[in-house]
Amino acid sequence: MNDLIVQSINSIVFSMLLFIMAAGLSLIFGHMNFINLAHGSFYVLGGYIGYTMISKIGSYWMALIIVPILVGLVGATIEFLFLRRLYGKHRHLEQVLFTMGLALITADIIRSNWGTYVVTMQTPLLLDGSISILDSQFPLYRLAVIGIGLTIAVALWILMQRTRLGIILRAGVFDRNLVSESGINIQAIFTGIFGLGSALAALAGVIGAPLHSLYPGLQFEILVLTLAVVIVGGLGSLQGAFFGSLLIGIADTFGKALLPEISLFLIFALMAIVLLVKPRGLFGAQSN
Amino acid sequence: MISNKPKTDFTHPIIQSYSRRKILKLAGAGALAYTGSLATACSNRSSSSTRDVPIKIGVLLPYSGIYATLGDSIGAGLEMYLDQLGYRAGGRNVQIVAEDTEMKPDIAQQKARKLIEQDKVDLVAGIVSTGVLYGLREYFHNNKKLLICANAGGNKISRDMKSPYIWRSSFSNWQPNWPLGLWAYQNVGNKVFMSAPDYGAGHNMVDAFAHSFQSAGGTILGKQFTPFPSMGDPAPFITEIRKSNPSMVFCFYSGSAAVAFVKAYDEFGLSKDIPLVCSGFAVEEDVLPAQGSAALGAISGLHWALLLDNETNRKFIAAYKDRTNVDANVFAVQGYDTGRIISHILDEVQGDTSATSRMLESLQDVSFSSPRGPFKLDPQSQNPTQHIYVREVKEIGGKLHNVVIEDLGEFTDPGDNSLG
Repeated sequence: MNDLIVQSINSIVFSMLLFIMAAGLSLIFGHMNFINLAHGSFYVLGGYIGYTMISKIGSYWMALIIVPILVGLVGATIEFLFLRRLYGKHRHLEQVLFTMGLALITADIIRSNWGTYVVTMQTPLLLDGSISILDSQFPLYRLAVIGIGLTIAVALWILMQRTRLGIILRAGVFDRNLVSESGINIQAIFTGIFGLGSALAALAGVIGAPLHSLYPGLQFEILVLTLAVVIVGGLGSLQGAFFGSLLIGIADTFGKALLPEISLFLIFALMAIVLLVKPRGLFGAQSN
Repeated sequence: MISNKPKTDFTHPIIQSYSRRKILKLAGAGALAYTGSLATACSNRSSSSTRDVPIKIGVLLPYSGIYATLGDSIGAGLEMYLDQLGYRAGGRNVQIVAEDTEMKPDIAQQKARKLIEQDKVDLVAGIVSTGVLYGLREYFHNNKKLLICANAGGNKISRDMKSPYIWRSSFSNWQPNWPLGLWAYQNVGNKVFMSAPDYGAGHNMVDAFAHSFQSAGGTILGKQFTPFPSMGDPAPFITEIRKSNPSMVFCFYSGSAAVAFVKAYDEFGLSKDIPLVCSGFAVEEDVLPAQGSAALGAISGLHWALLLDNETNRKFIAAYKDRTNVDANVFAVQGYDTGRIISHILDEVQGDTSATSRMLESLQDVSFSSPRGPFKLDPQSQNPTQHIYVREVKEIGGKLHNVVIEDLGEFTDPGDNSLG
């Protein structure tokens, strides 16, 4: 029983990390109809830049704020310079090729800057301890990840549901042309969305680095899981990203606990089942 | 002449390989290779014998992915040894042609073909992952090409998958773990929970430890085989381990998974109560800095330790640090010894790499003092006979290192599955 509770908390911690990633990717997929295979690169870039910043200025919390802004600006710049040349209905292959190239270039930049050794970000001092949950010790930082994840979920929900920008974004998922014809500068919106998506990925990178360390190849691991979340949850839906993350997080954790040998398979089996029952994902938009 | 200069030929076809190893170095290497080939061309004109054509050593290592550090370290160790010889052996110049296996058996096969059929390398060295090694076995065996395996420890290659053309300079997975299982039963505890990645090496290491541990009277409470190559979030595994309440945990991990596992083991408070006994790779020098104090007290078995007290090792670790700016690790040692074995073969045949049977014969009597201590190649298992050390992670001069606490003596792979 105790184990069940501890494993449930484990699954929510992992879900929250996935959610921050998936929220960004879902925005980009859903609103821009753009396939971004470089999303994992923004995650690791956030982690590595955060690592360097923490070793220079010593504050995890500063890094947690500054790094997403920096990486968000990088994302917006990339959108402005390159990605906007690749928009269009039948250009998904070009998008895949371009962003895959971007991911490989990032991998090389990281390799030459930070090397191939595993790099660990220290847990912030404030959270470097553990509390007792049902007489087993649980790391404080992992609990904080749940708090951060929920905070971001609420902030994004307010942005999407309660602001004019959110209305435009949601409208864009359903009918981009209509939004454009209402006199809204869709190009600027796209730049903003890509920047926001990249910033969220970098934020997840800074949050995830003390948990999972940083190493070559991490970006593709995290990308695959995030894609699974977005597909299960449905493109362009914040609820989809949230509940998709929970579902994948729970499947991952309990799969590992009960059937470790086939835990990765379970995630993709879950994805396949969801796609069979609801081809557009749990919360996917019905038309595009 | 400048023909003594090291010549490193990084021929990476851009489409097949995305590692583009050391991009900056590449430009320099290109320039070197150019002057090198000029030198060869000049000397060819004067003597026109094959003696002046460099011997090509194909190197197959992962330069990308989670084991990239292992590939880098083996490569650096090998290059360091060849560099100390001025890139000459058997009276000829020696050249390295490196390819990235990306740790994928199918990619490795393409690269092996490219090295042998296109680059016409004389022999191949490297191989980090057991899956890649098993995948390449038929190709090297059927083509009668020599492969010196500098890491991958899959037991089968010393047993039922043995080939006269494949020799190992590293270890078999059985080797460090069987002696450690016995030692752990006698010195640590009698109930163990075991955790390892779900691939050949993970199963080999667990089986070897379990065999001696159980034979001595120990109980295995549970085994956990985690996803490979990436274990993802380690928390669920750690929670399962605690549930079984063992008197010790045995694990084998390497690279990033080793960091994730050992850190989570500490964060969830297990390191305080349950001793961690592991295959040496899990706390080797390549991952220790990232694990930090989480690894303190971890006990492991391996065929080398950074602070192992012998003269060859003292010189080796100093030279390696000087060259690379990082501490050596066991993979660098294996690369270094691979260089030594290759130069031995080439010297024995006086640079005549067409004499395959004589090259194979020369491997029978390889014996030297390695940084790991006395080193021999066992003609039966075609695997090293070497000492296994019990090490403990301790803080020395403000840094964490593996300190040898016991030398368990010399071990040779049994050559069959009778001992796990």
